[in-house]
Amino acid sequence: MTIQTTSSELLHETIYSIERSDGLKVFFMPKEGYTKQYAVFATNYGSNDSKFKIASRGEEICVPDGIAHFLEHKLFEQPEGSVFDKFSELGSSVNAYTNFTSTCYLFSSTDKFYENLKLLLDFVREPYFTDESVEKEKGIIAQEIRMYEDNPNWKVFFNALKAMYHEHPVKIDIAGTVESIHKITKDDLYTCYNTFYTPRNMIVFIVGALDKDEVFDFVDKTLNNGKKKEEALIQRIYPNEPDAIVKKEIEEKLSVSMPLFNIAFKDVDNGLHGRELLAKDISTRIILEMLFGRSSELFMKLYEEGLINDSFEHEYTGEIDYGHSMLGGESKNPHEVLNKILDHIALMKEKGLSQDDFDRIRKKQMGQHLGYYNSIEFIANTFVPYYFKGISLLDYIEILKEISFETVSERFRKHFDSDKCVISVIRPK
Amino acid sequence: MLKRLAPIELGRGVHLHVIKTDKFKTNLIRVYLQRPLEKEEVTKNALLTMVLPRGTERFTTSMAVSKELENLYGASLSSDVSKKGERNIIQFALQLANDKYLEEKGVFEKGLSILNEIIHKPHLQEGKFHTQYVEQEKDNLKERIEGRINDKMSYALDRCIEEMCSDEKFSLYEYGNVEDLKKISAESLYEHYQNIIGTSKVDIFVVGDMDEATVENMVRQHLNFVSGDKLFVEREEIQRSPADVKKVEDKMDVSQGKLTLGYRTNLPFESELYHPLVVFSNILGGGPNSKLFRNIREKESLCYYIFSRIEKFKSLMMISSGIEFDKYDKTVELVGKQLEEMKNGGFTTEDIESAKNSIITSMRSMTDTPSMMADFYYTQVVSNNPDSLDEMIDKVRKVTKEAIIASSKQIELDTIYFLRDKKEGR
Repeated sequence: MTIQTTSSELLHETIYSIERSDGLKVFFMPKEGYTKQYAVFATNYGSNDSKFKIASRGEEICVPDGIAHFLEHKLFEQPEGSVFDKFSELGSSVNAYTNFTSTCYLFSSTDKFYENLKLLLDFVREPYFTDESVEKEKGIIAQEIRMYEDNPNWKVFFNALKAMYHEHPVKIDIAGTVESIHKITKDDLYTCYNTFYTPRNMIVFIVGALDKDEVFDFVDKTLNNGKKKEEALIQRIYPNEPDAIVKKEIEEKLSVSMPLFNIAFKDVDNGLHGRELLAKDISTRIILEMLFGRSSELFMKLYEEGLINDSFEHEYTGEIDYGHSMLGGESKNPHEVLNKILDHIALMKEKGLSQDDFDRIRKKQMGQHLGYYNSIEFIANTFVPYYFKGISLLDYIEILKEISFETVSERFRKHFDSDKCVISVIRPK
Repeated sequence: MLKRLAPIELGRGVHLHVIKTDKFKTNLIRVYLQRPLEKEEVTKNALLTMVLPRGTERFTTSMAVSKELENLYGASLSSDVSKKGERNIIQFALQLANDKYLEEKGVFEKGLSILNEIIHKPHLQEGKFHTQYVEQEKDNLKERIEGRINDKMSYALDRCIEEMCSDEKFSLYEYGNVEDLKKISAESLYEHYQNIIGTSKVDIFVVGDMDEATVENMVRQHLNFVSGDKLFVEREEIQRSPADVKKVEDKMDVSQGKLTLGYRTNLPFESELYHPLVVFSNILGGGPNSKLFRNIREKESLCYYIFSRIEKFKSLMMISSGIEFDKYDKTVELVGKQLEEMKNGGFTTEDIESAKNSIITSMRSMTDTPSMMADFYYTQVVSNNPDSLDEMIDKVRKVTKEAIIASSKQIELDTIYFLRDKKEGR
């Protein structure tokens, strides 16, 4: 067992890792002085992976929408009952989440860490699905879907995705629909489990005030007791997504007090991995803050005119095969906000971005990034998706420090294109 | 772990609490002003926390304030209101990166002086707040109050409390109401500001990598609150026996029904049975192995979320869930059944141990988040409880089954609230 070490001098943090012979990677970050320990067992499998091929079967498999999330729910079931109870006895809280690209199982504890870790490593590797329990889960997940149907922020976001993407499965709700989940069978769950829950497709990330050798020894010993699994090569099938958007506008009515909007720019500079992808990610976040942040002229103008309020925010999503910048908030007149944003972008393309703004925003983001390391949940939950994109989290602050004004200006010109812009609005019923 | 804090008296009614730790990458300063929760001022207090960050004498616009904070490595400033029982708390917070990781030094001190300007040196126009700022923030606050319906889960909880405590101050929404908002002017708000800045009890918390003497010096130098006689906020009334269960239904265009049941626990937080009651609520609806979760979600597939929680200061227990509209009767019945069973001692030693462990884990976990640590100790200050975290944990450990049962004896259902669709009938 060779332990690899990655350190950041700026952060005063180190991450240790091992790669096991079965391909599973295990990471550990010490956090001295912390009361909590936190562990995530994650698979590089999310709602986007709805079409794939299995080498042994040859044919293309297309599974019902919402299955990755359904599987996440059902993995907690064991022959002797729910694994929740065992974690509860230890006083720790166990949880899981599914997003577009990954499924993560996690717990946080303040005591008996290794007993908790063993539970986590075991239950994720031991699926137990029965027809009866699959049927029962449908009622629960249907209520989860209904809950999201009443959530205007969730609806305005998914509608924006639908306006941007023609084919890409990112436009489909992570939990699927009440109809699609009713089609899910026990066999579907096993097919997905066997395809995507393989050591090579998974990682374990552990953080807390623990001893590194003890952590790695324990994980190694625990995993060796498990059953060996056949490792088939995963062939994910993603449709060809055109660069163009589907439509410029999308609207829906819900019980809200005033209109909500998301304005999104579809990214066409795709296919990057690792540090290149990270540099694009960071550049885009700097631009968003420079143009639309609290200290920007545009924010000030929109705010003073009463077109936006405190809820106005921005976010960039940069996956390997797709990406988008998203601006969102509440407004009496969302289309007026859109017009002013597009005018401002056009103006800034003429004038060029300001070097002063760039320096100040970069400084701000350095400080903020430091602050994120207060939270072990942040560290683990950010490390995982970045790792699956070939990015090391500790590189973030180094690249942020080095990134140049020219790189950012160049990205600004390319990405913020009015032809790739959509607006999604939720209006009061 | 954390010891009892010894507050430093900066002046009459102004206290500083320093929590020294080197494990965070930031330093946090939180300032709490204690007000009574009153209809007369709740809306003004909320508006004030929105107007003050708009500008100071030196930085007259929010753009200038933001730029200054960004230059301090993205110092994050927040100001907000909340309610702790029938107290209205006004809070300001500033989190700054620790100098240790920066090329620049003195960041904390610069931050302190900006925070002081935000609180004490607002941008004025003819001896009152800037009219334009006040008017803009009045619009924003109106949107926020009206936007309460957007989050259906918390709306259903708030509405239940509003109906249940309709003739008590606790029913007041912390962001106030639109009618009172309309009446506020730049003059009247400034007058209110001058009044509260002198008459409110102030508690300042600093969580960070600095020793007490250094912090005290810096705070004395940069963050000056008026010393003097401060307003005493009275303890809220809690005993109440509802004659009948009140049933309230609101209709909206929604996909899922939101059910909230409000109970009176009739047990003050000062009671020795308070910790047992918290354990009781945890066994009933605290987490994924609670009675409600296991029976109503796992066994009956009626919901995705269901939980129970205790409102400490007002002695309430709230149970909340999202269900199909036609499952109202069934859910209400099942919740009642679980509660009765528990009152009669229908829970095991394992249930008790799990609940205690889970409560202790979340208490201990607070020490990993600077803002939670400050909030924990502030709650102790407000509730006049000298216990340290360790002492509280010890009390939870010692809770017995008998005490849990005894603590639940006076729990009474007061109000059932249901937010449902607009279709007729059930």
